[in-house]
Amino acid sequence: MRLVLLGLAVVAGAVSSPAMAGELPDIFDSGKLLATSGVSQLEGAGGGGLASWALITGYGTRNGVGANVHYTGVALPDYRLDSMGAAVGLFDRVELSYAWQGFDTQGVGAALGLGKGYTFHQNIFGAKLKLIGNAVYDQDTWLPQLSIGLQHKENDRGAIIAAVGGKGAVGTDFYLAASKLFLAQSLLVNATVRETRANQLGILGFGGDRHGDYSTQFEGSAAYLISRNFAVGAELRTKPSNLKIAHEGDAWDLFAAWFVNKNLSVTLAYADMGNIVIRNNQHGAYLSVQTGL
Amino acid sequence: MMKKATMTVLAAACLFFAAPALADDSLYRDLGGLDGIKKFVDVEMAYHLENPRIMHQFDETNIDRLKEQLVIFFCQTAGGPCKYTNHDMKVVHQGMHLTNVDFNALVEDMQKAMDDQAIPFSVQNRLLARLAPYQHQVVTK
Amino acid sequence: MKKLPLAILMLAPMAAFAADPAHTIVQKGRRFHPGEVTINRGESLTFTNEDEFIHQIYVESGGFSFDSDEKAPGELITETFTQSGTFQVRCHIHPKMRLTVNVR
Repeated sequence: MRLVLLGLAVVAGAVSSPAMAGELPDIFDSGKLLATSGVSQLEGAGGGGLASWALITGYGTRNGVGANVHYTGVALPDYRLDSMGAAVGLFDRVELSYAWQGFDTQGVGAALGLGKGYTFHQNIFGAKLKLIGNAVYDQDTWLPQLSIGLQHKENDRGAIIAAVGGKGAVGTDFYLAASKLFLAQSLLVNATVRETRANQLGILGFGGDRHGDYSTQFEGSAAYLISRNFAVGAELRTKPSNLKIAHEGDAWDLFAAWFVNKNLSVTLAYADMGNIVIRNNQHGAYLSVQTGL
Repeated sequence: MMKKATMTVLAAACLFFAAPALADDSLYRDLGGLDGIKKFVDVEMAYHLENPRIMHQFDETNIDRLKEQLVIFFCQTAGGPCKYTNHDMKVVHQGMHLTNVDFNALVEDMQKAMDDQAIPFSVQNRLLARLAPYQHQVVTK
Repeated sequence: MKKLPLAILMLAPMAAFAADPAHTIVQKGRRFHPGEVTINRGESLTFTNEDEFIHQIYVESGGFSFDSDEKAPGELITETFTQSGTFQVRCHIHPKMRLTVNVR
């Protein structure tokens, strides 16, 4: 873990240095306006914290390409979630992302007979395609920027997932996201509809003994731009409750994002993930760092 | 600083021949009126001429005249008593084959200039919101 | 055969306006082509905008001056030079454009 973080720091330093920036090919145009590509959401897609947005990650404009890596940590009372990954934005049209997630059950693992610190891991492969619109330029219409996306998730704890009533360790979410910047109000708004079978975003597998099939879920974000470098906002994400062993509810967060420059952003949030298995009131600190261009 | 000839053109476009001020000139006033707009356009142009992304777009351009046209255009856009009577943004920019990188670089310079003139961020965004749709006409590449 | 006189009638006025190369200045590449021309007093020059940019023409001198509207690509404008002398025709949008007109 520490090695990975060190690696990220080295990349951040390298990408931020002027000497390095001068050597990059022109296709990395870093032309988008600051903050207009969002940050990295929990499953690795471009967006907010919980929600996937219609914005394409990276600072490449429609003539170029952008890329970034991120780390996200969520410290809940009884669990810990770490996520890291990379994403590319191609010609402000296509986004490809990868995120690795580690969900550490800490003491709950022991309580469940799995062992203290028992960790679930997910590999999440994401793809997003912008359909129409431009959230930033289209200030003269109500039309949002609209994107479709998918997140293919593979969990490594198939046996435990089955034991808790989950139907499978692999699943794919599909979503339709609409994002719009109401620039005159300094307000960025996003609404996403997601078809999913994931239990706790896939950390506890897909489908369950209460409900096995896809269900329609909603995620929304609203961010107020305080200045060119700072945004504050709130998000809500609904989740299915597929498993009999525990009720799963909505998650929400309040966040503050600091866009240091086009190479670095830091997001701090207070996140409430609700009930997770045998523990209620899982709310705590969320920290995410994205570095790239 | 602007020359005397420019001041005359501005006076004409903005005071004598202009349409009556729109009912809502609040953005114009929040930008500091004509004086406030002139000040940030002066600074903005200086940034453009140092901006490696776009400085060469201005090699052939009459800078004083361009500044005066920008002032008139921003004044009118903000609801002020000015009338922009020249060609539309599409015709003016088509020969430059501009990209979103160029457009955004200009916006960033405007933001810096408005920051320098202590124009609040929310006021800046109100002006930029009215200018943003011109991207469709100005950007052709 | 009937069509021919009609065609000639139509062509005649066009010929009057048709580009006489000796009195046509092309605006292209944000320059005047040619960059220098000699004409007789009372003659006209037709400036044709074959550029991607809007252009304008003006002359500022003691005895003779003009200041045109801005012309978009594809448009043309004709100016008559009523005074003898050497004049610099310029564009107020593009200050590097210069045309020297020698009027006999």
